Amino acid sequence: MMEIFRNMFRRKGRTILTVTGIAVGIFAFTVMGSMALRFNKMISGGKRFITGQITLMPKGTDFATGTGGALLPLDVLMRVAKVDGVQAVGASVEIALKEIDPDDPIGGASFGVPPTIEGMDLASSYENRNWKTMDMKAGRMLAKDDADTNIAVGYTIAADNDLEVGDKFKIRGKDFDVVGIVDQTLTGPDQYVFMPLKSARELLIASNPFLKSLKERSDEVASISDADLAKLPEATRQQLLQAKSFKLEDVTQMAAVSWEDGQDPDVVSNRIKDQFKDEVLVLSPTKLGETIDKASAVFNAVILGSAVIALIVGGFSIINTMIMSISERKREIGIKKAIGASNRSVATDFTLEAGVIGIVGGLIGLGIGTLAIVLINHKTAQSGAEIFLLSPTFMISVVLFSFVLGIIAGVLPAVRASRMNVVDAIREL
Amino acid sequence: MSKTLIHAVGLKKHYQLTKSNAVHALRGVSIDVQEGDFSAIIGPSGCGKSTLLHILGLLDKPDEGEYTLDGIDVMKMKNGDANIIRAKKLGFIFQGFNLIPTLTAKENVMQAGKYGGMSMKQRKARAEELLNLMGLQDRMDHKPNELSGGQQQRVAIARALVNRPAIILADEPTGELDSATSLEIIELLKKLNRENNQTFLMVTHNMEVANACKKTIQLKDGLNA
Repeated sequence: MMEIFRNMFRRKGRTILTVTGIAVGIFAFTVMGSMALRFNKMISGGKRFITGQITLMPKGTDFATGTGGALLPLDVLMRVAKVDGVQAVGASVEIALKEIDPDDPIGGASFGVPPTIEGMDLASSYENRNWKTMDMKAGRMLAKDDADTNIAVGYTIAADNDLEVGDKFKIRGKDFDVVGIVDQTLTGPDQYVFMPLKSARELLIASNPFLKSLKERSDEVASISDADLAKLPEATRQQLLQAKSFKLEDVTQMAAVSWEDGQDPDVVSNRIKDQFKDEVLVLSPTKLGETIDKASAVFNAVILGSAVIALIVGGFSIINTMIMSISERKREIGIKKAIGASNRSVATDFTLEAGVIGIVGGLIGLGIGTLAIVLINHKTAQSGAEIFLLSPTFMISVVLFSFVLGIIAGVLPAVRASRMNVVDAIREL
Repeated sequence: MSKTLIHAVGLKKHYQLTKSNAVHALRGVSIDVQEGDFSAIIGPSGCGKSTLLHILGLLDKPDEGEYTLDGIDVMKMKNGDANIIRAKKLGFIFQGFNLIPTLTAKENVMQAGKYGGMSMKQRKARAEELLNLMGLQDRMDHKPNELSGGQQQRVAIARALVNRPAIILADEPTGELDSATSLEIIELLKKLNRENNQTFLMVTHNMEVANACKKTIQLKDGLNA
């Protein structure tokens, strides 16, 4: 073993260059692999959630960009709930946790889901098929008939805002009571504030000038007694009555449908689509799952492809180094064979030397990569989601991989060295 | 009568340099070496001395002929077994001081023991014993480049002796040494021959070395002269 290290440092400069080459490759592999792991974890959580429900969006909304801002009236949801095979419909409202800063309307780019308020339809018996309950880190999840001011917060939200169960949390100018903190999921819910639907609707209306004015008109009319209303002229009265028809319950951005046991979700979603295609967009679990798979496959291919290129370059530099050092040590190989070394023992020595170059480069690359990941994660944790996921299994496989890379790159030159003709090798000087 | 260690008859070897140009290094050489011999193969340059030594040392294969080494019919041996015989029955001393530069004197000697199948403990003890015998007890942990030519050659002799070989083959063992050191080395080899009955077969064109040998085998143009 000592001989391997001594041989490696015979040509210090060359060994250092080769090790650096491997280290750079492994660094790229570590960083990009961790990013892919994090991304996949997030995607798979999202996929698990989204394939556990049939998603309904109002016509006029674009799923990919979330633009359009159309609403789903309550009566449509009530009719969907009656479709054969539908178990329940849950309405939902989603808005950003913080009001958009007028001085910085675009905001910072973030990786994954930004902090979001998730209005929960606590009255509905709807449940996501794949995600029935959430594991709690502390406290409890919202339940039916919970107070409108109660909220449960995701892991990252709690960490970023220093929240404990029992704390008050001010959201868009209103105070809420934290009753639960959801355990880390490494996906969407980490950035969610779960809130009763009514409160979320009120926040949405307050943030939307059009809805806000409708609501104000409606409230104004509500404050007029029927007796006073009757005294008003007919035309004004009609106008006011129309304004009164605005109902909070009609403000729903999205709805989730669960299907009855034994039903095929694709069949149920087709049934809904056939009946309501003029009012809602229906996204079937299977289709959404496929879309997500495609997106993540492309992402993974790009990330892993670039890492593999880095590694191939590293592998070739090991091959080059080994061929060089073997031709320099030809005579030495001849002597070893003359005094009785078997071909296998010569080949093993050189292969191990290449393996050690690989593992040393791998450890350095992994070390620097891990350091970079920890620093960047620390930084991004303050402004949203962490970008990298460091898994011990992945780290161990990176080191093993770098060793195997060295071995594979070294084996060919080593076998060539071991087959060298002894007489020729000894004559060489 | 003492035991025959090497019995070779009619060894032929040619090297095909180009399609039409072949060198016939050996044209039918016969040689016998008995246990306890201290012999030299002599002859002018290009007569086939080194080729013969390489064939006898199983580093090369003859085209034709018979060769028995310590009772083993080498011609019928499998390819992969040559290294085991080299490790256990043969010792080599080369012209240059062919030590592994990254290993210390002791490690160089120990390495041959490893190929001969000794345990770590045995190797260590044997290497120390032999280096003491060579008068190198103070230089055991020195690298070859920290040793003089004579000292390096003594390490090489110790290495050749590790596995208690039947015969030691030496190719110009004094080739790169000054005459005083050459004599010293030859005296050392003679002493090993006299006191331990160690068999030596060397190749040389140095007449002083040849004269020190009990027996000489003369070659000329690839034949016994």
